[in-house]
Amino acid sequence: MSNYSVAGQSRRAFMKTTGALGAALALDKEALGLAPAVGAANSSGREKLIPTFCAMCGPSSGCGILAKVVDGKFVGIESFPECPTNNGVNCAKAHGAPQWVYSKDRLHYPLKRVGAKGEGKFQRITWDEAVTIIADKLKEQKAKYGPESLGILSPAGRSYSSYMRRFMVTHGSPNYGHSGICAVQKRFAMSYTLGDEPSPDYAHADLVVIWGKQPVFSGASKHAVSSLIAAKERGCKFITIKPTLEPDGAVTKSMWVPVRPGTDAALALAMLNVTINKNLYDAAFVEQWCYGFDRLKEHVQQYPPAWAEKITGVPAAQIEQVARLYAGTPKAAIDYGNGLEHAPAANDALRAIGMLMAITGHIDKPGTNVWGSGSTMPSPRGVDLFERYTQEFVDKLVGSEFPMAFMPAMEGTSASYYRILDSVLTGKKYSIRAILAPGTQAMASTRGTKHVIEALKKVEFFAVLNTTRTPEMAYADVVVPISTMYESDHPFETSGNWIMARNKVIEPIGESKSDYEFWLALGAKMGYGDDWWNGDIGKHMDWRMEPLGMTYEELRTQYPNGRKYESKPPVYEQYAKRFAAKSPRLDKVPYLPEGKVALYNNLFEKAGLTPMPVWRELPEGPTATPELLTKYPLLLSDYHTSRSYNASWLRDVPYLREVEPYPSLHIHPDTAKQRGIANGDWIVVEGPHGSMKVKAMLYPGTRPDVVMLLHGWWQGCKELGLPDFPLADGGANTNNMYSTDPEKMFDPVITAMSSQTLVEVRKV
Amino acid sequence: MGKQYGFLIDSERCVDCRACVTACKASHNVELGVSYRRIETTWKGKFPEVTFTSLSMACNHCEEAACVKVCPAHAITKRSEDGIVVVDHAKCIGCGACGKACPYHAPQYGKDKKMQKCDLCVDRVSEGKKPVCVVTCSASALTFGTLEELPALAGKKKIARLAGATRPSVFVPVSGA
Repeated sequence: MSNYSVAGQSRRAFMKTTGALGAALALDKEALGLAPAVGAANSSGREKLIPTFCAMCGPSSGCGILAKVVDGKFVGIESFPECPTNNGVNCAKAHGAPQWVYSKDRLHYPLKRVGAKGEGKFQRITWDEAVTIIADKLKEQKAKYGPESLGILSPAGRSYSSYMRRFMVTHGSPNYGHSGICAVQKRFAMSYTLGDEPSPDYAHADLVVIWGKQPVFSGASKHAVSSLIAAKERGCKFITIKPTLEPDGAVTKSMWVPVRPGTDAALALAMLNVTINKNLYDAAFVEQWCYGFDRLKEHVQQYPPAWAEKITGVPAAQIEQVARLYAGTPKAAIDYGNGLEHAPAANDALRAIGMLMAITGHIDKPGTNVWGSGSTMPSPRGVDLFERYTQEFVDKLVGSEFPMAFMPAMEGTSASYYRILDSVLTGKKYSIRAILAPGTQAMASTRGTKHVIEALKKVEFFAVLNTTRTPEMAYADVVVPISTMYESDHPFETSGNWIMARNKVIEPIGESKSDYEFWLALGAKMGYGDDWWNGDIGKHMDWRMEPLGMTYEELRTQYPNGRKYESKPPVYEQYAKRFAAKSPRLDKVPYLPEGKVALYNNLFEKAGLTPMPVWRELPEGPTATPELLTKYPLLLSDYHTSRSYNASWLRDVPYLREVEPYPSLHIHPDTAKQRGIANGDWIVVEGPHGSMKVKAMLYPGTRPDVVMLLHGWWQGCKELGLPDFPLADGGANTNNMYSTDPEKMFDPVITAMSSQTLVEVRKV
Repeated sequence: MGKQYGFLIDSERCVDCRACVTACKASHNVELGVSYRRIETTWKGKFPEVTFTSLSMACNHCEEAACVKVCPAHAITKRSEDGIVVVDHAKCIGCGACGKACPYHAPQYGKDKKMQKCDLCVDRVSEGKKPVCVVTCSASALTFGTLEELPALAGKKKIARLAGATRPSVFVPVSGA
């Protein structure tokens, strides 16, 4: 029998299920130019290997690749060991690049909406027409409503994020919308606790606590996996704190701490309680470098392990054991991640973890969390224009991502992505009139999908800038096709002490251009040309390169495999310097006005925030809403990263889709058995706010009271016969499941959004 | 008999990232639904004392390859110079006998029903390069070499030949080492 396997399924089962899924999006696909891709310009007939960068995540700090081009077509990748970002290894995604570049979902030409919003009827226009329509609308609205009527929905940090922020400054709007669920939340919490965010020193640690992070799927090839394996083989021990046992925990034979999703703050508070009450802390470090210890000691008395056990589901004895192991191992580090940034108590979870590092003296010593020694490479010029911020500009922020007292923050002035959409519906504090959505998918990427759809219907002007079609395109007035970075020769990429020019692999598909070219073109078209090199990307790249004393083309031609600078020797115990770091606020007040770790935070107190970390319940959960448990006994959350996708992208890439073809809910085998659910069954997941239809994956490393799903599912894969899933009820979009109650869904400081709710599951 | 190429497959390093699976498919332009390399996950224990291991498997290029012996069309051969087991697509009659004979489920069958499988990147190996699965692995869980070389390439790690009647050209870590 020819029984080959597609990610654990037989092909017969695989094919049988592909025809019966939810409705496709109402998009007129022919009008979108989703025809098979045309070949590239180069037709030399020879095979070429072009040193450049992977673009399957980012763009930003891409892994090095040698792009293989045959007869002008991008056909594959080879290892590029000279790039220190990844030293020649690559993840699964990297190998799907040609299929993504030539995807049937690529946007080839600029489009203008000709039907009603949501109908999906478009007409092809030229690139210049698209930029002109956007510029004309923004000029009109700027005159009528003020420049702050423009909001940007930004993706996660990209190397073009600075260009969007620059555009907002030159236009006059502070409303750069950040997701509220990504790295900036960590940086905020840690900076206002420790002065700067320290990184785990895998190279020297004897114990690494991986907390709310998945190093195997986050930057696997960027040394995350090699560091993990090297540490394990050196004899380093591991503890993994997360709702499911994942490959990082399994391969390191870690102690698994199966915490309920979203309850990390309670766990960290109980660990502080143990560390302090059992005298496990570093008294000398606390005395010299921590502020407010006595008040913290008194404060955490209310959080004993037995209290945390009820909330987190982690046995009190294990909480104490973990606290003792971490405090008692001199070379211990915490590798914390994005999983902590999705809960109402996210900021306090992060702060409490920072405090654990501090009071145990696990900061900036070999094997702990360290700040590093920086680079001898001159920094290329930044493009943000932060220096032009004024208080008046800052005060205009709609739905600030961080409390106004802390603005500008880590990424300048930033509004919460969700609240930009909210302002369209509520008019608070005023209405956003135009939204630009570059490299993001509003309907799949933020909470409250039904809410998002209403906002997109209502907003006066909406433009989508993307490489492949997106779910919200049907609501766009203009769609701008963005080339993949394989079709761009800019910008440069850096890795520590190393910089290299990006090389173009093929000519842009259709009439697409890079994100960088778009922002330069729009800036020039708006009449902001002096600030935008009059749209000349070459002049712009040379301007950025000036501090390095060479032009961009000199970098490309003189250093074809990148230019390496001397590395600095490691420096440790930089407390006086790091605890004096200045904040990005206009008054430049230091993050830590006392020059010490803020165990008690006077800046927070002054802003009306809790000066010490507290526990805040989930919108729905076992201890938050026990009355819901009869109807919805399981706690649902979602995974942020995966082996084969980048957020809600890349489901259209067949080789990657085969790795994870279906949205598969991780469910404990006993939990499944009680409901008559077998591995691979289609199941309905129902909660108070919505429902999903997904597959069951019996996963023994799941808490029996928790179910977990990868987020970002909607896009089909034509080559595999997989249709699109609905974005709202009946699809596989976790964001449709969560509370949108403004009193419950956000962390009050960092606007992290809860991704936890209660559900019940049943077989279809 | 010349040298015999093979793999050291280290499940103590494998992180189940599937880069080897995708690299193999992309470099061989493998049709959809077919995969020459796969990850086998084995769970042990019960919540919360539960764990799993991941093992990256493809063709083991056995010294006594069962597929070669059973092929009625003589489409499968073992190269004398390097021990790589290759299939001649033109000669294969698609009978599926090799699939039944192979204890490791290496032979795969696509739309044309003919056998296809891992060829140990024979073209690359002939040019002195390593197979793509080995090159791409972030965990160094796959090592390529001759059977003579592999124990030295394993460094301090204790390894042993994978036991089996077909004498698979594969080393694995000695458990507990």
